[in-house]
Amino acid sequence: MAPDKQTIVRTNGKAPRWGMAIDLKRCVGCQSCTLACKVENGTPPGIFWMRVLEKEEGTYPVARKVFLPVRCNHCSEPPCVPVCPTGASYKRKKDNLVLINQDKCIGCRACVVACPYQVRFISEDAKGYYGDELTPYEAESYKKWQPRTVQKCTFCVDRLETGREPACVQTCPTRALVFGNLNDTESEIARLVRGRAHFQPRAELGTDPSLYYLT
Amino acid sequence: MAHEFNMDLTPQEEWSWLVAIDLFLGGLGGGLFLLYQVFGLSSAVALLSLGLVVLGGLVLLSELGHPLRAWRALLKPFSSWISRGVIFVSLFLIFGALYVAPTLEYFSWLPWGDDPTARKTIGAIAGAAALLVTLYPGFVLAASPSIPFWNSPLLPVLFFSHSLMGASGLVFLLAPVALNGAALPAIRVVGEVLIATNFALIAIYLLTLRGSGLAAREAVRRLSEGALGWTFQVGVVLVGMILPLAVVIWLPSAAAFAGICILIGALLFRYCVLKAGVYVPFAMT
Repeated sequence: MAPDKQTIVRTNGKAPRWGMAIDLKRCVGCQSCTLACKVENGTPPGIFWMRVLEKEEGTYPVARKVFLPVRCNHCSEPPCVPVCPTGASYKRKKDNLVLINQDKCIGCRACVVACPYQVRFISEDAKGYYGDELTPYEAESYKKWQPRTVQKCTFCVDRLETGREPACVQTCPTRALVFGNLNDTESEIARLVRGRAHFQPRAELGTDPSLYYLT
Repeated sequence: MAHEFNMDLTPQEEWSWLVAIDLFLGGLGGGLFLLYQVFGLSSAVALLSLGLVVLGGLVLLSELGHPLRAWRALLKPFSSWISRGVIFVSLFLIFGALYVAPTLEYFSWLPWGDDPTARKTIGAIAGAAALLVTLYPGFVLAASPSIPFWNSPLLPVLFFSHSLMGASGLVFLLAPVALNGAALPAIRVVGEVLIATNFALIAIYLLTLRGSGLAAREAVRRLSEGALGWTFQVGVVLVGMILPLAVVIWLPSAAAFAGICILIGALLFRYCVLKAGVYVPFAMT
């Protein structure tokens, strides 16, 4: 998703900082983003690059469920990157995405442990959902990651590079997820963050996540 | 590992026994080499210390998802403590071997064996590398902001002192081959001081972290209740420290038994520290 000329002028030529605003007032916990992510990225059983946490609050009769979609925060200061001994985890300069070069990953799990958001995963094998033999879809989609290396949300980097939004954003039926360039002051996400009460997860750690929860 | 779809306090499950064994063997090897240098123990001890570090490295390799790519872990020493650790271990193995080799009959022809300056220099580098081998695991864990129980500057100190204590336990066990003229009473005193120091450091560590937020408090609770609580209180504190201290003080003839107890406690200490690592829940902030 390359920025247009107007955006480049507005952002003073700064590289995009892709981020997501998540409207907690709109999220209904339907998990369609979770499924869209699975379909798009072909993650193996038990691994969810994106998921919606649930929690019950209050007591009967004034009780309710709250939902919190979580995924890699693509932090500006990602704690997972400096702990990586091989440079497999890195922050891409051209768009500030935190990505993994799976050919360099040795599977030491240091980044999995260092991530305060618990959104990095290691699949020990490449088993499918329906027994030992992969379905044709799994055989194709499992090419996106290697067993015994770290995997995580990439903000659907393949889609971004062809000008499309991440699958979870496109799927969300309540428009709770808004994706965009945080460095572009006129983008929808920047306006939402400016205009609405919000928090960044565990901001006290100084990670400066690119995820903003609108409250 | 699949994560739950809830917002509870969750312990890390990535690093367990294999990493604990690696940390134990690496620390033991580094600590043993330091005792070898300080007390002038026999060359067999130095060889054992090198062997322990190699064994620890092999255990760690077996834990890696892609051991054949392990050489890449040398590439990021300016940011990653694991990378620094790999370099410290490599330096230790190289310079430790160079230092010990001339003392062995088969390699007595090596030229630096007769050159006091060269041997002293090699020894200093090997000693410094051994010290860093004992310290770096604490820095690896302390670098994780996600787990408050580890995120403390005291942890490397604790790993260092535990490494020395474990090494003293191994010397007690191997006293007949290890002492090489050094006085057992002197090492016994060092062992006593190390056990007492570790006891105090662990107490300070737990007391400090009990007041460091929800996840750290949960970690301390895990070390005082349930299966991990038993492992810590009985294995690390009672068997690993109190019992050997009593034996060394009142029954010095059973020092070998105290050594076994210290080694058990030193291994379980690593395991307990790893398993007590609890994440701050994602949504409770």
